[in-house]
Amino acid sequence: MEAIEVSHLTFSYDGKNDILKDVSFSIPKGSYTTIIGHNGSGKSTMAKLIIGLLEAKKGKIQILGQELNEESVYELRSHIGIVFQNPDNQFIGSTVADDIAFGLENHCVEQEKMQGIIEDVAGRVGMTDFLSAEPTKLSGGQKQRVAIAGILAIEPNIIIFDESTSMLDPQGKASINAQIRKLHEEKNITILSITHDMEEVAQSENVIVLENGEIAMQGTPMDIFKQEDKLAKMQLDIPFGLKISKELKKRGIFKENVCRLDEVVEKLCRLK
Amino acid sequence: MNNVALGQYMPLDSVVHKMDPRSKIMIMLFLMVAIFIPAGVLGYVIIGIFILLSLYLSKLNVKYALRTMKPMLWMMAFLLVINLLVIKTGTPLFSIKGFTIYSDAVNQTLYIVVRLMLMVIITTVLTATTKPLDLTLGIEKLLKPFEKVGVPAHIIAMIISIALRFIPTLIEETQRIMNAQASRGVDLENGSIKEKIMAILSLIVPLFVSAFDRADQLANAMEARGYDPSRKRTRYKVLKMQTIDYASMILSVFVLCACIGIWVL
Repeated sequence: MEAIEVSHLTFSYDGKNDILKDVSFSIPKGSYTTIIGHNGSGKSTMAKLIIGLLEAKKGKIQILGQELNEESVYELRSHIGIVFQNPDNQFIGSTVADDIAFGLENHCVEQEKMQGIIEDVAGRVGMTDFLSAEPTKLSGGQKQRVAIAGILAIEPNIIIFDESTSMLDPQGKASINAQIRKLHEEKNITILSITHDMEEVAQSENVIVLENGEIAMQGTPMDIFKQEDKLAKMQLDIPFGLKISKELKKRGIFKENVCRLDEVVEKLCRLK
Repeated sequence: MNNVALGQYMPLDSVVHKMDPRSKIMIMLFLMVAIFIPAGVLGYVIIGIFILLSLYLSKLNVKYALRTMKPMLWMMAFLLVINLLVIKTGTPLFSIKGFTIYSDAVNQTLYIVVRLMLMVIITTVLTATTKPLDLTLGIEKLLKPFEKVGVPAHIIAMIISIALRFIPTLIEETQRIMNAQASRGVDLENGSIKEKIMAILSLIVPLFVSAFDRADQLANAMEARGYDPSRKRTRYKVLKMQTIDYASMILSVFVLCACIGIWVL
């Protein structure tokens, strides 16, 4: 059983121009998949379809083996969470603790258990000291971490990140990327991340490249980045780490290419 | 500008701050009714003592409470003039250039001024000692019994709390748009009325567009996190009545009864 299985999905907002055209893919449990693509390629629409905010014209989506439809959507939402792009527009509570509690309240978790859960998940995202802070006092990266905590609170099987780092400064971006990596390593949570950030793509296991509503490429980050020309045509770049690695390989310093900057650094340190 | 809060909550550590918002709202309602009962000077003295006591217990600065009265001064002056002109009963006190001032006019005005002052102080004590969100929760719980007759208590509370949550965000946004428009040469301060209206339009239109966009995204986020207004929800915050809540409520009921008693007898 796959975490997410999308088959022959077609969607359009206006009934004429299809944003997604007969898209099929599956995401195994516990994996870390990124979806990349140029603006307007249908990435964010995909996320909204999977979480059930939009309804597909044709095709079906199965989440944890269960078909997503009007009856199942509410139940499925206790297994799946999404972190959106704008940190301000998903902060519902008036303090950090209230915001984390929002999802718990919706899923009818008993009041006595809430405080413990809130403290636990706030600790996991490093926001313990900010539980009573108001959103205006937090940075964008901190707000996104609160959003992650709010989702972790309901113990989901799948978390979707919909360009969650695109409005953050480099520091916030790095901290959220590290958080995602940590989640992937420590617990069996399936991660699906829609992103523009090639550094994040490099740390994932699978990549899906969307172009004009169709899957253009699919594979491991290394497979995808090998086709640099094809990516360039879609106005997509390769990560900085890989660029350095390629130059080093050209000069005979590296034998193999690596994607991530930290891997490059590690390899360089081990050179004799 | 970011610190603007509705009703200006004052974060102090006092008995009144720790009280249950429900009892505070009920006490305010009892006192409001008591203020409108024509119980004469004695009635106002009783209410006044109660209100001064609550002001003292809440550790609020008296100067602060008086400052909230400032916007009311004009209204009070206006009432005074109207009353002096209109009321022609009671004993004539003195006259200026053939215009006589009557005792009833002065009395009536004093009553209204005292009433207004008492009401302003009592609402100030409520909003300064209760966080907006607790106030919302209190309103929700108090409206709960009316849910049976179709009052959507928790939806009302959700609307109020989201509105409160977004006040600072929208102020920030306004500031940003003002700066952006100023950098494009829009002058928000000078110019004729027509120019000013155009300048304000250049502020309001983008503000509305972005507010609707925000609302849309917020609705998506709430739905994705499993919010459904028609379903049952549990609550994180619970309210708890303590001895002080019961005691002060009983006391306020006494004040109300005393006023009714004075009026009837």
